[in-house]
Amino acid sequence: MKRKNKFSFKTSNSRSGVIILCINIFLVLFGILMVYSASYYYCERTYNNKFFYLIKQAIGFVIGLFFMLFLRHFDYNKLRKFGLISMLVSVILLLLVFIPGIGVENYGARRWINLPGFTLQPSEIAKFSFVLFASIYLSNNYKEVKSFKKLLPVLFGGGLLCLLIILEPNMSITMCVGLVLLFMLFIGGASFKHFLVLAVPLLILVPVLIIIEPYRLDRLLAFINPWASPQGEGYQLIQSFFSISNGGLFGVGLFNSRQKYLFLPFAESDFIFAVIAEEFGLIGAIFILLLYFILIVCGIKIALRAKNRLGCYLASGIVGIICVQTVINVAVVTGLIPPTGLPLPFISMGSTSIVVFMSGIGVLLNIDRQNCSREVVQTGDIKLFNFKKRSEKKI
Amino acid sequence: MEAIIKIKVEYSTLSLQKRLLSFILIVAFIFFILFARLFYLQISSSTPLQIKAVEQWVRTLPLSAKRGQILDANGNILSISYTTYDVYIRSREVKDAVKVSTYLSTVLNMNFEDVYKRAMNTAVSENLVKLQVSENTAQLIVEKNFDGVYVAENIARFYPYENSLSQVIGYLTSDSEGQTGIESYYNDILKGKDGKYLTQSDVRGLTLNPSLNYYVEAVDGLNIKLNVDINIQTILENTLTQVMQDHNPKSASAIILDPSTSEILGLAITPSFDLNNVPRDDVETLMNLSKNITITDVYEPGSTFKIFTLACALSLGLTNENEHFYCPGYRIVDGERIKCWKTTGHGDQTLVEAIQNSCNCCFMDLGLRIGKEKMYDYLNSFGIGCKTGVDMDGESSGLMLDESIVKNVDLARIAFGQTVAVTELQLLNSFCSIINGGTLNTPSLLNSYVDNDTTVYENHILKKRETVSAEVSEQVRYLLEEALSKTGEMSFIEGYRIAGKTGTAQKYGENGAISQGKYVSSFFGFINQNGAEYALLLCVDEPSSGAYYGSVVAKPYAKTIFGQIIKYKNIEKADESIVVDRVVVQDFIGMSVEKASRILDELNLYYEVDGEGERVVNQFPQAETEIEKSTTILLTT
Repeated sequence: MKRKNKFSFKTSNSRSGVIILCINIFLVLFGILMVYSASYYYCERTYNNKFFYLIKQAIGFVIGLFFMLFLRHFDYNKLRKFGLISMLVSVILLLLVFIPGIGVENYGARRWINLPGFTLQPSEIAKFSFVLFASIYLSNNYKEVKSFKKLLPVLFGGGLLCLLIILEPNMSITMCVGLVLLFMLFIGGASFKHFLVLAVPLLILVPVLIIIEPYRLDRLLAFINPWASPQGEGYQLIQSFFSISNGGLFGVGLFNSRQKYLFLPFAESDFIFAVIAEEFGLIGAIFILLLYFILIVCGIKIALRAKNRLGCYLASGIVGIICVQTVINVAVVTGLIPPTGLPLPFISMGSTSIVVFMSGIGVLLNIDRQNCSREVVQTGDIKLFNFKKRSEKKI
Repeated sequence: MEAIIKIKVEYSTLSLQKRLLSFILIVAFIFFILFARLFYLQISSSTPLQIKAVEQWVRTLPLSAKRGQILDANGNILSISYTTYDVYIRSREVKDAVKVSTYLSTVLNMNFEDVYKRAMNTAVSENLVKLQVSENTAQLIVEKNFDGVYVAENIARFYPYENSLSQVIGYLTSDSEGQTGIESYYNDILKGKDGKYLTQSDVRGLTLNPSLNYYVEAVDGLNIKLNVDINIQTILENTLTQVMQDHNPKSASAIILDPSTSEILGLAITPSFDLNNVPRDDVETLMNLSKNITITDVYEPGSTFKIFTLACALSLGLTNENEHFYCPGYRIVDGERIKCWKTTGHGDQTLVEAIQNSCNCCFMDLGLRIGKEKMYDYLNSFGIGCKTGVDMDGESSGLMLDESIVKNVDLARIAFGQTVAVTELQLLNSFCSIINGGTLNTPSLLNSYVDNDTTVYENHILKKRETVSAEVSEQVRYLLEEALSKTGEMSFIEGYRIAGKTGTAQKYGENGAISQGKYVSSFFGFINQNGAEYALLLCVDEPSSGAYYGSVVAKPYAKTIFGQIIKYKNIEKADESIVVDRVVVQDFIGMSVEKASRILDELNLYYEVDGEGERVVNQFPQAETEIEKSTTILLTT
């Protein structure tokens, strides 16, 4: 109780919130450094400016910081109004990708919208829109979630986004949204029976997706044995292995990655974790992963203490996205699952990604702030947890 | 059923808190898997991955070691490497393609467009501009130090004596590894150890940090000095060329050994080929031409083999030079009639005469007296049927009937050189052990390894065993000398003690039957003087000029060879009293063979009759020619 008092003035966060804020800022700054380390050789040769990506990333950080601070002070309950709107905006943005001239095609996929000065990746925004939408819906209907019918709007919204994203195509973010969808249903109280009903169409979907885009099968095979095609499909994974193994226990030191000399593709984005593992070794890699884990635990703590269901679902959803994306990214880089292109939250190159994740943290911090606030804002929700006191003591 | 329902109920009633806590547990478990995976990649299995990674980071430029020379006994260069310079462009590194192309096209005398195209071609990392430019040109290009222009040194092989000693020297593969002959046998010594130049580069091959470059210096190969004397070799080759012209055989070969050491002083085979222009397109021809038939191929030696029977009989004390042999033209052994080469018979003759006449009957007698056990003991000791161990690849061991199945008829045939097959070098080397006082050595081509001018390793004579006593050796030398000069006053070459034995053997076809009209004519001889020992074996395979007797096809050329060696080595006359009698040949054409033979026998002249006719239709040398008495006159019917 004492500790709680220490943090419980209106504008401040709990200890968990402070930890999240610190980890977030640290990871983003560390990310900028790593993006520079991984890309300066490439940028120097391609743009004649070795700070090219660093600057882009730093701009993303500044914008992200602005969004985060804004959302930290913006009452998340007011977001209720934006649930449907944000879904609508996401769908429109995802559709815009397909319009030539607005959508940018890269590596055979339409994933970006061209804006003056930078490109926007709508699927990054869509993830958070969905979490917002699902949280609002589930908190409004939490009493009826036992019936499958009541879950359909969430399933439909998530499914629509998945469909649009997979058409880009972007398998990895589809997977990410899909997993977040399942996660939201799980915390929303969907029963085991509902998951079984969902599992059947999902299992059917896998072969269908492979038939539609046969390159996925190649990737799957390359994942099982990358050495069969070291110059083809297996190349990326092998290069990632080289990077990681080169790091050893302590790493080769900052800026000393050997694989970034164009051997490792997407070293500054999807495979930046390999560069981290190379430069800082097993110890550095585990340290960074532990930071993510602490962030997730702290996020869940905030969710557990949320004043209302919306706050709880929203916080869990944001943490869920961070968790799913981190796990998938690291699993891909270390060759545990077939390669897909998914950025590592906060660290990978990509301004959209950095802005949306920092915004998410901003919302999380706002939920935390309201938990700590002396003013109890009654929003009509029933008291969430009957054992709240006990868990507070523990913390 | 109840249990399942119960579980379902529990799941559906899980509180939100429990769900979130179980989420954290699942995440913790997944993170643990990620840690384990990282541990596996970075610690457990990192070494093989790191090795593979280093392979892709480092570009290795080989620095070739200079291949050693091959020298003859006097230090004449038989095979030498020289540096050529190849010009390359790495187009990605080129800064000013026009400038580079302009300069290179001028210096290399090339079309500007051609060079420019290569300077701009980034599809491959290295573009070859020109091969084998001169050293001066290469120097000019290097001095300019253009970005992306490289001059690579390459080594080419040159054989100054072209098609001389080709089968012995051998040639290289396209990767500069010895493929045949000495180049192959002593490849490791000659080639030295290549060095490398390692550079750290990015994925496109651009060098990253020059301070990380790493040199491993090349160690040049040693020179190989042979026992072969290129002058003696040339004498052999010129003579063989003459044989080829005169008798048009399938091939002809000659070996000169130093009998006391078995050093190979010359080894010539015709036809040959130019080592600087190896006919690689026609593999079969090349295989035939580059094969050292004196060690790879076996043949039935015929009469020259009688020397072994003689040495054996003398060692066992089974005969002496005064013994008389009678030749009716055949012997019946175990009920089988074996003919002497002269079917009319040689009549009564002393041992010396029997050797002169090369009488098969005499040697069948000796062979049967020796018996198969002793005969095989001696032949084995002479090294018949065994590889000599010469320093060349592909040696055959020869063929001998298994002792257990040898019957008297076989023994009688072996005694005059049939039903046994040897390689030429094996035969000559075994003869040497008989004439050198009784020591069998390993024949050798290698004299020494030489580093610049310093001898770093000298090949020593490899003594195998004692074969016959010094007395027997002396006796054989005397008998062979006697036989060659026929009488004391007449010699092979005036003033020189030269001994020898001819041989003529029929060839067998692939079915094992005698091939009609196919012979190997040979001559074994040696200079029988102290301090100047040269043993020669000359073989002519399938002469097709009509004549085939060793005395006609091989002996005269052996004389030429010995004559030239004497001149080249300035060998002093041993005995002024050894003179060559000369006679003027009369005209035999139109005479009956019988009458001509009688006249020639009375005059004590060598002659051979070719053909089965009754009258002489041609003769060589022509009538009224003055000839030495040792010359064989050939009568054709």
